[in-house]
Amino acid sequence: MTQARDAAGRHPQTGGMSPFNRRDLLRSAGVIAFAGAAATTAHTQPARAAAARPGFAHGVASGDPMPDSVLLWTRVTPTPEAQPGSGVGPDVQVHWEVAEDSGFLRVAARGSVRTGIQRDHTVKVVPTGLRPGTTYWYRFNAAGATSATGRTRTAPAAGAAVDRLRMGVVSCANWQAGYFSAYRYLADRGDLDIVLHLGDYLYEYAPGEYQARDVVVRPHDPAVEMTTLAHYRRRHAQYKTDLDLQALHAAVPFVVTWDDHEFANDAWSGGAENHTEGAEGAWATRRDASKQAYAEWMPVRFEPGGHIYRRFAFGSLASISMLDLRTYRSQQAASVVDPAIGSPARTLTGDAQMEWLLNGFSSPATQWKLIGNPVMIAPVRFPSTLSAREVGAVEQLLGTTTIDGVPYNVDQWDGYTADRSRVIGHLRDNAITDAVFLTGDIHSGWACDVPADPLTYPFNGASVAAELVCTSVTSDNLDDILGSPPRTTSLVVEEAFKAANPHVKYLDFDSHGFSVLEVTPGALRMDWYVLSERTDRAATSRLATSWQVDAGTQSVRRAQ
Amino acid sequence: MNGLPTDAAHPAADRRQFLRLAAVGGASVLLSAAAGTAFPASARAAVGPDPSTRTRVYVMVVDGCRPDEMTPRLTPRLAALRAAGTNFPGARSLPVMETIPNHVMMMTGVRPARSGVPANAVYDRAAAAVRDLDRPTDLRFPTLLDRLRDTGFTTGSVLSKRYLFGIFGERASYRWEPSPLLPVTGHAPDNFTMDALIAMVDGVDPDFVFTNLGDVDRVGHSDVTGTTVQAARSAALRSTDGQVGRFVDHLSATGRWESSVLIVLADHSMDWSIPSNVISVDQVLSARPELRGQIQIAQNGGADLLYWTGPAAARDAGLAEVRSLVAAHPGVLSISNPAELVLGPEAGDLVAFCRAGWRFSDPWVASNPIPGNHGHPATEPIPFFISGGSPRVIRGAVLSEPARTIDVAPTVGALFGLAPPTGGYDGTERAAAFRS
Repeated sequence: MTQARDAAGRHPQTGGMSPFNRRDLLRSAGVIAFAGAAATTAHTQPARAAAARPGFAHGVASGDPMPDSVLLWTRVTPTPEAQPGSGVGPDVQVHWEVAEDSGFLRVAARGSVRTGIQRDHTVKVVPTGLRPGTTYWYRFNAAGATSATGRTRTAPAAGAAVDRLRMGVVSCANWQAGYFSAYRYLADRGDLDIVLHLGDYLYEYAPGEYQARDVVVRPHDPAVEMTTLAHYRRRHAQYKTDLDLQALHAAVPFVVTWDDHEFANDAWSGGAENHTEGAEGAWATRRDASKQAYAEWMPVRFEPGGHIYRRFAFGSLASISMLDLRTYRSQQAASVVDPAIGSPARTLTGDAQMEWLLNGFSSPATQWKLIGNPVMIAPVRFPSTLSAREVGAVEQLLGTTTIDGVPYNVDQWDGYTADRSRVIGHLRDNAITDAVFLTGDIHSGWACDVPADPLTYPFNGASVAAELVCTSVTSDNLDDILGSPPRTTSLVVEEAFKAANPHVKYLDFDSHGFSVLEVTPGALRMDWYVLSERTDRAATSRLATSWQVDAGTQSVRRAQ
Repeated sequence: MNGLPTDAAHPAADRRQFLRLAAVGGASVLLSAAAGTAFPASARAAVGPDPSTRTRVYVMVVDGCRPDEMTPRLTPRLAALRAAGTNFPGARSLPVMETIPNHVMMMTGVRPARSGVPANAVYDRAAAAVRDLDRPTDLRFPTLLDRLRDTGFTTGSVLSKRYLFGIFGERASYRWEPSPLLPVTGHAPDNFTMDALIAMVDGVDPDFVFTNLGDVDRVGHSDVTGTTVQAARSAALRSTDGQVGRFVDHLSATGRWESSVLIVLADHSMDWSIPSNVISVDQVLSARPELRGQIQIAQNGGADLLYWTGPAAARDAGLAEVRSLVAAHPGVLSISNPAELVLGPEAGDLVAFCRAGWRFSDPWVASNPIPGNHGHPATEPIPFFISGGSPRVIRGAVLSEPARTIDVAPTVGALFGLAPPTGGYDGTERAAAFRS
């Protein structure tokens, strides 16, 4: 554990030139005793020691922006004993304020809220009455300490003309597999309206169970697979000590959903691949614990007992429907040839969420219908031209067996074709335009059409939607599994997949990084940025490729 | 094209006046003028406001065009016009997604419940027959064509389809009767329609002209490769694109481009079905002759309008059964009451829409053999852009606004300073496309 916290505390300064970067974050936090130390000794100060001081060791965050409100988050450590997951520490009154300027001269709202061990000393408040499409600054104060200052922004007014929406798009950040340089680069940009996190924000594994190839770059805390509420709380807390993640949270409001690793690998409504009923307790108990910790530690309008699927609008330009594809899903099919794949009795979304999703497509109020979609919806068939070694590597990446010509991953929508048919049928029958699925999960970058009918697609190119998949922040992908240098042996696999699936226009099975999505009335464009080396704290980033969807086409093309 | 008048008289029994204009290759174009409207003494003379300040507005309907078909490769002239103006990529047609109601919505700015025109074909209870809404008396609401004319502007209609010519009647100051009409399709090819439009602009130069180009739709209906390569359809799109380009070039060559606003849109799009994907309500009800005998069906391609003709006392129960039986067909997407779709009593008692890739065929299963159809929600998306050389047009803009066919009238009306009709418009003026 000490080693992990040392690693968290030794992040390099990036020297980014954006209006609000990591350096600003630390400077603004200087009034807090622990953060003041971090500002001068960030490379040597163990995170645990920092967190042990009263204050706001886990940063600040905002999320779920609406035209008149945005959710603000922090975690207060009122006494050294009040560590995450400890269940120890006094109740404390936390004051918050929101201002129209970074100097807090024009305060727009302020208030206070009480927190304590019942919610692991986390704080979530939702100031209302804010102005739409407006940048605000916020901070918290408790027990004589003041938090870092965060910056956030409300959504544009309902129905307002919006020229542009720009967001970071990320998923699959495994602490043990490397550093969160992707978050650093996003934080340093200074031009994002939101960050869309599509899940696998954290991982459940114990040290040594899942890392960067065979190397644990920085071990998880606690040093066990998280199965209890205390475990989930501590793991969330550990991730929130990462300064790159803190910087991004403090700079941009997040819109998040979960995938499986927030619970356990390949979670479904009644269990998970990485859950042993009994030995690891009851699934319902574990699931509830993970959801409680998620509600406490994430800047999200979700509380236990509610549902996380929800929709946001950004004027008349775009809506974003965030899906929950774990809570209601039927158990994954046993194999890729299991006839249950197509059974209408099985579901990925659940009936209520499906109705909500389909109804949302039909709203004329927004042009682009974006779907925060944790797992891929485009059908992907396994090619027949790969070597045994390549097949084995893809199987390891997917965690499933593969057979030529059949769906390659039954944890995706490919394993729930009745639900997918409902979605595609609805899009096609109602001629829904400008629907774009934004997807994570699969540790690779994809740009795909979603065919109206895969059989006729090669002839007519008819597509009902586009799908853009961001790669992993750090989690292993194909070259890691093959043990090959990036962009070498995977190229053959990628070409084979594209040949077998002509609606797949872009595929990168190797890179780690992040995406930036820019939405305008005329087109939507995603840029894929890749990192030089995820295990390098000072990794560089470069733009790898850009693909776009022109309005009204439902089809991807390489951006010029 | 020389556009000179060759004949200003016509031995007609009615009070209309006729003008024969020369067109390309020695052909002629015959225009008629509404009663009380005179042809100018010189056909080249501008009619209306001061030529130096006037705005000419041309609404051009590329009938049945899908928005994704308007591409730089397939339709370079249309795509260039769109890029040079203000585009509304989220534009849609309105129920029932058929030609006549959407042309009527464009010109009236009101929904069918107010205009009386909900579909192409309806069951006429008085006549006890299914017929097209192609009579001037079918349209109960004033249109831009007559409202602008009544306020001192000149208007023209150049409509390629016989039934459009029929329903708009003598509302325009000047109108062209489509000719030659092709058998089966009942429309004039686009090259003839464009000859007429150019002749009308050259001859009487209306302030506003409403044009329908029917080839893309008519070819689309019969394109048996519609579900795959759409060979015939693509050829029609290229041809129509050339005709639009020809009109733009003519406006430029005659010095009118700088005063022109072009609103280009479709009335609906097109969806293709394979022969096995046919829904026949007649067949669905065949096992229930007592119900079938109380129902009349007006088939509109992707939509069936169903009319209860039995005893009033049995109406609610009978319609409930019909709804249940028809909704069970796998090709049926939805069944609505006409009021839910703002259609009015002419649309009957139930409106059934099919899914994408299906079509209705009634009153018999073989009644509708054509693969390309519209009328159902799959055919709602349409191209809709505002372009032209007028300095009022904003260039290179794309807007998220959900433009609809019904927005044409308030938008054009505002350009001419025309007050809304009694009761107001149901559509929305798309003012963001223009400099104020």
